[in-house]
Amino acid sequence: MPHVMISSKKCTGCHMCELACSAYHEGAYRPSVARLFSECNPTTAAIKGHTCLQTGCSKCQEACPNDAILTKEITVKVKGEFAGKEKVGDTVKGYVLVVDDDACTNCGECYDVCPTGVIHEHPTKGVAYKCDLCDGEPQCIAFCQNPHVLAVDLKVDKKDKELAQA
Amino acid sequence: MDFYQGKVLRIDLSAGTSAVEPLNMEWAEKYIGGKGLLLRYMWEEVPPKVDPWAPESPVILMTGPFAGTNVSTASRLVVGCKSPATGILNDSYVGGSFAPEMKFAGYDAIIIKGESSEPVVVTIKDDVVAFVPAKPKYWGLKTSAIEEAMRRDFDEDAKTLSIGPAGENELVWACLSTDQYHKAGRGGHGALFGRKKLKAIAVRGTGSVPVGDAKAFLADMYRIHTEYVLTEDNLWANEEGTPVLGQIMSDAGVIPTRNWSSGTFDQMEGINSDAFIKIRTKNRACYQCAIGCRQFHEVDGIAGEGPEYETIAICGANCGIGDIAALAKFNQECDELGLDTISSGAVVALAMDLTEKGVKDFGLRFGEAEGYLKAPELISKREGIGAELALGTRALAAKYGRPDLAMEVKNLELPGYDPRGAFGMSLGYATSDRGGCHMRTYPIADEIVGGTLPPDSLVGKAQKVISGNPAEGMIGENFSSVKFSGIWCDFWAITPEQIAQILKHAWKREFSEDEVFQIGERVWNLGRLFNLREGVEPDDIPQKLYAAEGAHTTGASAGRSIGTATFKAALQEFYQLRGWDENGVPSEAKLAELGVDVRL
Repeated sequence: MPHVMISSKKCTGCHMCELACSAYHEGAYRPSVARLFSECNPTTAAIKGHTCLQTGCSKCQEACPNDAILTKEITVKVKGEFAGKEKVGDTVKGYVLVVDDDACTNCGECYDVCPTGVIHEHPTKGVAYKCDLCDGEPQCIAFCQNPHVLAVDLKVDKKDKELAQA
Repeated sequence: MDFYQGKVLRIDLSAGTSAVEPLNMEWAEKYIGGKGLLLRYMWEEVPPKVDPWAPESPVILMTGPFAGTNVSTASRLVVGCKSPATGILNDSYVGGSFAPEMKFAGYDAIIIKGESSEPVVVTIKDDVVAFVPAKPKYWGLKTSAIEEAMRRDFDEDAKTLSIGPAGENELVWACLSTDQYHKAGRGGHGALFGRKKLKAIAVRGTGSVPVGDAKAFLADMYRIHTEYVLTEDNLWANEEGTPVLGQIMSDAGVIPTRNWSSGTFDQMEGINSDAFIKIRTKNRACYQCAIGCRQFHEVDGIAGEGPEYETIAICGANCGIGDIAALAKFNQECDELGLDTISSGAVVALAMDLTEKGVKDFGLRFGEAEGYLKAPELISKREGIGAELALGTRALAAKYGRPDLAMEVKNLELPGYDPRGAFGMSLGYATSDRGGCHMRTYPIADEIVGGTLPPDSLVGKAQKVISGNPAEGMIGENFSSVKFSGIWCDFWAITPEQIAQILKHAWKREFSEDEVFQIGERVWNLGRLFNLREGVEPDDIPQKLYAAEGAHTTGASAGRSIGTATFKAALQEFYQLRGWDENGVPSEAKLAELGVDVRL
């Protein structure tokens, strides 16, 4: 049920989250394939965060003709020395949407429906890729470390809770 | 090799061609990246005694090995050239996101030579390099507009390094801009872009920077951020930023005021940190920086980042301007035109001084905003008074027979610290490898902020200028040279031991603190050799900053003077401690000890 959110108000546009995300998933720094991103206008410094809402949205899963977006149980523990609103180091149990690489045909249905633009074709694997909450220790949240900022955080919404209770 | 891309992109503007070659990894091992590797490449690439304006005189863009990773603040780019202002090396640093984007595109360095017959923009999308005519669409655009045009016409995620109108007009202190508010400010790289008819380089990289064991590296960087970066020593930059220095320097008699006629500004409360906090709107970070020191302000409809301390000092106090809106506007004008604010403020202050002394009426007076606000555009166009101001402080003061009023070292205008209030800065300015600069060593950190070294004495300062005083966060020339090879930002008070911990990830071996210092000393000596080869002026600063008759009569530093004999003796002490002869030439023994691999 948990998902990552970037607070557009708090974010400084340092892109540490994208860097950590890409290193964790790609084994090299490649933010062009990060699973989340912070869009920052250099002139106005306006920021808009883009993250996967997981089961709080599920549009990719609904659109997939091949059932290649799976709902997977996950236990998330946020790494963080500085306690933010949700960033408390507690364990949160719930669900995350992950891509089944074997079932994905790269048909692209999900790319077009994603409201936050965070599911894409992987440049080398030729299948869809998306946020999987780093097997329960989201690196994006860990690397949003400035105690005055703490913009990347874990959220749990109502629909997630209902799913967990069902 | 992890972290390095191992590739250099060569751009020949005369031919309109590009080529890729391997990065010299032997040099990288000796000089790391950033400043060190830049200087090593400059030694080879700058033809000895070349006219800086000549087509064969290069501009080199160099990254550090950790650009495009989670190593905090290491996203800086260094731009190097033989400066058209000083005739010696100039390494100018800029934050933002250009260096990481270069790395993602696959390059550690870009070497630009030649001169285009027509104005041009170079676009780089990974391995595709294109030469796009800059006329009629791009030539003439201000810095925000050219960046926007590159995002619109080339790639929505393009990062652009560009010149404004000042660079197009080859103004000698024209700078390079990126992410709009970030400037490789000093030394005239923008002027050389203008001469080469290069409006901008726009880059988009979608590739990766290799990191080895990514999960182990992430875990170590998480620890390093927690233990070393997000500490009280560094978070001041996020909380207040450099405007905090204004009141401190004024109270200490250090802030240049009304063309260096005082060290204390009577209208400081108008432009001190409290005044800026009242108009603060946002705080932003450079790429891969956990600190985030970029403060945004809005006043009288002028919105944007800055000004930072040097601008507050030189374009504020030094011009007698205590009106925050006027200062913010002047800063914005310089940013948009692509002008270095330090040199711009310095020449305007000189013109104000010449006017008030009755030497020559430029229509500019200390504290009067109207003419002051028109100056940047006139300078960038060389129109009206701008035609003369564009000469720069040295030539302008000489023209009117008052060289004593030009506050520059080696023809680079001095930044915001008056050595009469902090004696150590005199040696820092005199021995700086790029002329008037506060970034090579920063005795201020200890003399004024830390407060363990007496500000009104030069005793023992030669050693401090070389080695710094790490316990008080005072950076010395050797350490800044290795730090800027990383390239770590000044605002992370990183230690040699912490640098060793990070270098280990790249080179897969242990580094001792001594070795880290030695790399820095090697880089500093290489820079000295370059300057000697090209012909450097004697190390000195404006005489009134040390002569007894130059002492201030007002402000907190009134009556203090270093004394000419004391200054000259300290300079000789500096040479001796460096292992250089009385003319500042490094000895063979010193070069051999440091493993410097070039000779005069």
